[in-house]
Amino acid sequence: MRRALLAVGVGLALADSSIVTLALPEILGRFDVAITSVSWVLTSFNLVLAVVAVPAAYVSRRRPRESYATGALVFGTASLVCGLAPSFDVLVGARCIQAIGAALLVTSALDLLTQREGDERALRVWVVAGVFGAALGPAAGGVLTELLGWESIFLAQVPLALLLLVALRGVEARSIATPAGRPAVAANAALLFVAGGLVAALFLVVLLLVDGWGMSPAAAGLVVTVMPLTAIAVGRLRPRSVGEVQGVAVGVILLSGGLTALALMPRAGWGWTLPPQLLVGAGLGLTVGGLTELALRGRPDQVVHGGWTLCARHAGVVVGLVLLAPVLTSALDENRDEAIRAGAAVVLDSEIPPLDKLGVAQDVLGEVDRSNDAGELPDVERALADRPDDAEWQSLIGALQDQLNRAVTSAFSGPFLLAAVLTLGAFVPLAFVRRRRA
Amino acid sequence: MRRFVPVLVALGLVAAVVVPYVALGGGSFEPTPVADPCQARALPEAEGLGETIERIALTAVDNVACQLGVSREELVLALRSEDAFDSFTSENDIDRAEAERAIHDGLVSAVDKAEADGTLPGLVAPLVRKAAENLPPWLILEALERLGSFLPG
Repeated sequence: MRRALLAVGVGLALADSSIVTLALPEILGRFDVAITSVSWVLTSFNLVLAVVAVPAAYVSRRRPRESYATGALVFGTASLVCGLAPSFDVLVGARCIQAIGAALLVTSALDLLTQREGDERALRVWVVAGVFGAALGPAAGGVLTELLGWESIFLAQVPLALLLLVALRGVEARSIATPAGRPAVAANAALLFVAGGLVAALFLVVLLLVDGWGMSPAAAGLVVTVMPLTAIAVGRLRPRSVGEVQGVAVGVILLSGGLTALALMPRAGWGWTLPPQLLVGAGLGLTVGGLTELALRGRPDQVVHGGWTLCARHAGVVVGLVLLAPVLTSALDENRDEAIRAGAAVVLDSEIPPLDKLGVAQDVLGEVDRSNDAGELPDVERALADRPDDAEWQSLIGALQDQLNRAVTSAFSGPFLLAAVLTLGAFVPLAFVRRRRA
Repeated sequence: MRRFVPVLVALGLVAAVVVPYVALGGGSFEPTPVADPCQARALPEAEGLGETIERIALTAVDNVACQLGVSREELVLALRSEDAFDSFTSENDIDRAEAERAIHDGLVSAVDKAEADGTLPGLVAPLVRKAAENLPPWLILEALERLGSFLPG
C-alpha cells in the first residue's frame, strides 16, 4: 500500500510536467493572454522543477518524512490555487509553487521507497512511476478538460495529494549523513538530451492526435498508452548480456528512429503512430531507466543523485519546449496558408455546381478565421454542414479534409525531426560515460 | 563484434518502420502544390450558362494570375473582399490600380472570346462584360454568380 502510494505520488507530481498540454487552448480562452505566453503554464513548472530539484533533494535526505508531508501539502495547496486562479499571473505563480512541492515529494519518495524496498527496487519503482506519470499526463489532462474543464485538472489533484500523506504512517524518521559525492555529469547530460527529444513524443503526439486529427482526448489517451507500456515491457525484458551503456545507446537509436518515423508518416490516422510509438516506447524504457540507473547506481546517496536526474530531465523538457514550440507554431502558420491555397484549388476544380464555388470558398475561409481565433484547427464538415449530402459534396469535403490533414501532419514533421536530432545529441555525453567506466 | 549486435538490431527495427513509411510517401504528405497558372489546364465542359460563366471566370483568372506572377488560388482568394484584395496587392508588391486593370482586361477579353466562339449567348454577353468592366474586382465573382443564378440556363 505504502509503495503504491509513493509511486502514485511520483507519477502524479511528474504528470504535471505535461498534464496541461491539451488544456492550453481552454486556458487561452479563459485568460486574456497572448498565444506565445500561454505555454508558460507548462514551461514554468518544468523550469522551477529543474532549478529546485537538487536543493529539494538535499532537504529530503535530511528530513524525508517532513519533506514528503510538506511536498504533498504544498503541491495540493498550489493545485487548489491553480484550479481557482482568478488571473493568468496567479496561475503561473501557483504552477511554480506546485513545482517546488513536486520536487520535495518526488525526491523524498525515493528516500522513503529506499527505506522500504532497498536501493535497486526503489530505484526501479521510482523510475517507472515517473515515466508512467509523464507519459500519461497529457491524455489524463485532456480527458479532464473535455469532461469537466481545465480547472478540474488541478482540483482533482488536491484530494490525491492529501491521500498521499497516508504513506507516511509508520515511517520512522531518519537522516542521511554521508556525503553525496559529485553528480554523474555525463549520464545526466545524456538524460537532458533524451528528455528534450521526448518532449516531442510525449507532448506533440497527443497534440497531433487531438488537435490535429480531431480524436477525442480519451481515445488519444488510449493510443499513447502504447509508449509507457512498451517502455516498461522493454525495461523488464532487457537481456543481461546487454550492458547499461550499450542498452542506452540502443535506446537512443530506437527513440531517435521512432521520432524520425513520426516525422515521415505517409498518411493521417492514429494507426500510423503505433509503429513509431513502439520504437519510442522501447527507447524510452532503455534510455530514461538506463541513464537514471547509471547516474544513481553505486552512489552513496540516491536521493541527491535522484535530484540531479530530476534536474536534468526537466531541464531537457524546458530545452525541448523552447526549441520545438516555435518551430511547430511557424510551420502551422506556413502550412495554414499553403492549405488555404490547396483548398481553394480543390474547390475550383471540384464538380459541385459552379455557382456554389464562391460561397463554399467563403464558408471554408470563415471557418479558418473562426478556428484561428479560437486556437483550434478548422472543421471542414462543420463549415459545409448545410450542403447537400450527395457524392460531389462528400468528395469535396473529403478532398478538403485531406488537404487539412496534410497541412497539419507535415507541420509536425519539422519538430519531430528536430527532436530526433536532439536525441542523437545524447551520444556525445554517452561516449564519456563509456570512457569513464572503461 | 558481438557487442554491436544490439545496435544493429535497433537500426534494423528503425529501418523496418522508416523505410516503408518513406516508400508510402512519408516526407511528401503535405498540402498539394497549386498549379502554374501559365500552363494550360483542362476546364470542365460547359453544359449550361452557369458552367459557361465558370469557364470564363476560370480562364480569366488563370490569365491574370499568370500576368501578375501569382497563383490562380491566391487571386481568387483576393477577390472575396476589399480587405483581402488590399492584403493581396501589398503582400505581392503589386500596384493596386495595375491589378484592378489586369482583372478587368482579363475578364473582358475572356467574355469577348466566349462571345466570339458562340459559347456565351449574345444576349448575356453585354451584361457580363458590363459587370467585368465596371465593378470593383472583389464584387465581380459574386456578381457573376448572381447573374448566373438569375438567367435561365
